Amino acid sequence: MKTIVDDIRTRFIVEWEHQQREDLRQIGVRPGTVVPLLGWLKLHSPFVQLTHMSAVDWIEEGELQLTYLLTDPVGMRSLMVCTRIDREEATMESVHALWPQAVTYEQEINEMFGICFPGSPRQGVPFILEGWDDMPPMRRDFDTVEHVHAHHPSRPGREHTDPRAYIGRVFGERGFLHDDD
Amino acid sequence: MESKKLPVLPVSAPPEGSVPHAPLGEGCFLGETQRPKAPKLREALATIKNWFRANSLWVMAYGTGCGSIELRPLTTARFDMERFGLAMRPTPRQSNVLIISGYLAVKSLKRVIRAYEQMPSPKWVVGLGSCTINGGMYWDSYNTINQLDLYLPVDTYIAGCMPRPEALLAGFGYLMEKIKKGEANGWHHYLENLDWYKENQKKVITAWDLPDYNW
Repeated sequence: MKTIVDDIRTRFIVEWEHQQREDLRQIGVRPGTVVPLLGWLKLHSPFVQLTHMSAVDWIEEGELQLTYLLTDPVGMRSLMVCTRIDREEATMESVHALWPQAVTYEQEINEMFGICFPGSPRQGVPFILEGWDDMPPMRRDFDTVEHVHAHHPSRPGREHTDPRAYIGRVFGERGFLHDDD
Repeated sequence: MESKKLPVLPVSAPPEGSVPHAPLGEGCFLGETQRPKAPKLREALATIKNWFRANSLWVMAYGTGCGSIELRPLTTARFDMERFGLAMRPTPRQSNVLIISGYLAVKSLKRVIRAYEQMPSPKWVVGLGSCTINGGMYWDSYNTINQLDLYLPVDTYIAGCMPRPEALLAGFGYLMEKIKKGEANGWHHYLENLDWYKENQKKVITAWDLPDYNW
C-alpha cells in the first residue's frame, strides 16, 4: 500500500493521506488532479475498479467533498481518492469515460447534491426524485421537516421527540458524541 | 306396485338447552354452528362468495420497503401462508391483495397506484408497518408519504416496525374475517371517491403522466 501512495506522490500532488484501516487508505488531491490520477491508477496500478462514488456537504467551509472509492480486487484492498470543490459553483469533471458505471453515480450525485458533471450522460434526468422542484435534498441547508409539512400530510395525533433534547436528557447536556473525541 | 317404506332409524332427542347443528349446505362454514336467520337468496350468495374470496387471497409479490423482508419467511416452510389459501402471484392481473410493505416513496407510489388499478376487483390493500400508518421512523423524510389511506383505500393495517410474520398472519386473519362479513369494501370506496383519491395522488406526484384510470 505504501509503495502505491509513494508512486502517486512522484507524479501528482497529494495534499494529505490517512490510513483508515489496514486495507483502506485515503488520499486527498486537488479537483484538477482527480481525473488524470484515476486514469493513471486504472492503467498502472492494481486499483482498477470504481466501487463507489459519494459526496459530503461541508457547509461550514463552503465546500463539497467528492470521494472515489477504488478497489484492488486481487489484493482485496481499497483506496479512497477525495477532493473538495466549491459549494456554490459545484462542477466536476466526469469519469464516465474511465468507468461507464460512473454515469449512474454522477446522475444520483447531481440530483442529490446539485453537483454538475458536464459531458456525463443523464445529467438532470430524474433518478429517484420525479417532479422535484426544491433544492437538492442532501444539501445540509435543505429543511426536511419544512418540506414534509408542505408536501406530505400526516395523520394527526402523533407526538415527536426532538432528538437533540432527547439525547441530552439521556446522556447529559453535551450529548452522546463529543466534538473533541 | 306398493312402494316399500324405508325404516326410520331411531334418533335420540338432543339434551335440553343444547344448540342443534345446522344442516350442511346452509351456512355451516368452518365449524360455525350458528344458523343464519332466514337469509334472502342474494345475501346467501354474497355470503358464499365472500367465503370463497376470503379463502383464496392472492397476494401480489411486490415489496416497497423493508417490511417486505418479513414476507419471505411467511411464504416459506416455517410460517407457510399457503395453508390459509394465501398465495403469491407475479402480476397485478392475477392478484387481489396488495401489500404496501413499509415506507412508500413517491416514485413507488406512482407504480403502486398503477398496479392497484390494474388488479381485478374485488381487491384489498394491506398496510404493513408503522410507515403506512403515520410515517413511522421516516415521518420526516423528504420522499416518503406519511399516510397511505389518502392515496389508496386500506382495508387492514398491521402495526409494528417491522411486524413479525405472526403479526402478518394475524392481520390476514383479520382481513379474512372482514371479507367474510362483507365489510372489506375499500375497492368500492376507491371507485366511489375516485376524484378525491386522484386529487390527493396528484398533489404528491407532481410529475403526473398516468391516465385517469389504469385499466
